[in-house]
Amino acid sequence: MKKTLVLFGLLLLSAGLFAQADDDLSPQRKQAIDSLALEKVRDLSKYISIIGNKDTPWSEAQRVIERAVELFMPGSEMGVSSLSRPEVHYYKIREYFDRLMQLNYDRVVIEWYKIQYVSDLERQPDGTYVGVITVFQRFQGYDKEKGLIYEDTTKKDITVYVKRKETQIGGRLIGFWDVLLGDIRVKETSK
Amino acid sequence: MKKLPVILILLISSFISYTQVRTYLGDESMLYAQTKQINQFYRRFNGEEDVTGKRLYETNVDYHSTKLRTKYLNILFDLSSPLITKDAKEIFILDVNNKKTPLFLDFHSNDWFAEVSSEFTYNRQPLHVLLYFKLEKERQGYKWVLSNVYCSAFEHYFNHVGDSISGENFLHPMSHELDFMNLRKMFATPANIGYYIEKEYHPDPLTLFLKEYKDGNLKFVSTNHVKFHFFQIPNWYFEVAYFNRSQNNSGWLISNLVRINDQEKKEIIRNYTHEN
Repeated sequence: MKKTLVLFGLLLLSAGLFAQADDDLSPQRKQAIDSLALEKVRDLSKYISIIGNKDTPWSEAQRVIERAVELFMPGSEMGVSSLSRPEVHYYKIREYFDRLMQLNYDRVVIEWYKIQYVSDLERQPDGTYVGVITVFQRFQGYDKEKGLIYEDTTKKDITVYVKRKETQIGGRLIGFWDVLLGDIRVKETSK
Repeated sequence: MKKLPVILILLISSFISYTQVRTYLGDESMLYAQTKQINQFYRRFNGEEDVTGKRLYETNVDYHSTKLRTKYLNILFDLSSPLITKDAKEIFILDVNNKKTPLFLDFHSNDWFAEVSSEFTYNRQPLHVLLYFKLEKERQGYKWVLSNVYCSAFEHYFNHVGDSISGENFLHPMSHELDFMNLRKMFATPANIGYYIEKEYHPDPLTLFLKEYKDGNLKFVSTNHVKFHFFQIPNWYFEVAYFNRSQNNSGWLISNLVRINDQEKKEIIRNYTHEN
């Protein structure tokens, strides 16, 4: 709840920044939007770690999956490939989270590298801005008896949609930038 | 003299891996050095980001700076590629990064396109298809549009098209006086139909692709590799591909570089897009 308030505060702050009718992105606006987008990606990273954690109770994992799905545009997919299987396999976002929750390991360790790369925002035909944020994740799956049985490092290219919207607060129309995540390309990196 | 390039490479590696990222985990330096997105390839090529990956804008002192670009341009090549000679690379960098008339890449320019290696099934059999995409402006923004396809399964449709000698496979010049009754001979052997087509005809695999797809014979399975062909720099063609390896020299890099004139440029575009 606290998080939502902070995020809403950020959105309103950005609304103040972007009160002009003009939809073009100055470097300052772009940086403010990048922060909002990175905030969503950080939320996603946190949710993935919780969902994948074997100590997370089932009901809690379900609740977190709901929150995670809310970060995405409807219809978003994960496109996954590995070093041995370069062709892309597609999963709906919810399916991906469900599979992550049900992975057959006794213990799972998910870590995120500090590096992140934020692309420029390009406009698509309907005027929505679209960008890509790249992050890297390290995954380790452990078996009680055999120890570490699987590990990989993946590059995640996450689509970010940025749309200008308006909301009415106290009779005034306030403009703000709405940020939603889209398709994610997951690529195993070289060992 | 031989030592110079080695020292240069070492300097460039240290440029990214040590000066700015030594405060991070050791194994992250490779990820910083890696050209992670095509967007980053553009930024580095043009000198529009600093060494930490932060975007530079026109107001920044280093924006488009020759010094910054020299460092970046050197690391944007696949250093293991046998297709890129040292001389070609050096001349290319001099051409692109000269102080008087520097050359930059433009994301919205027409002179680049994507080649997507894809898997389909064709009449339930696996089929490899190359899809070519280019950027097109529409309303308030841009979109990638399918501009051509190539797959070996369609090649036999175009046998003998454009052949300069048709042997005995032609309609003689007085056929019209016979109300073209000899069309029966033209259509007798499907393998030879190409001989009867005008020489200016350009086969269009995209049309065939659309037909087969809409008839339900061709079904998409997945994509795998992607690469990009660039014709934006006058007198040069280069290809950019993704190198997935645990080295600083990884990510989106120039994998082929060819010096070309305008005529060769058309030829290369035809070769790479399989246009006839």
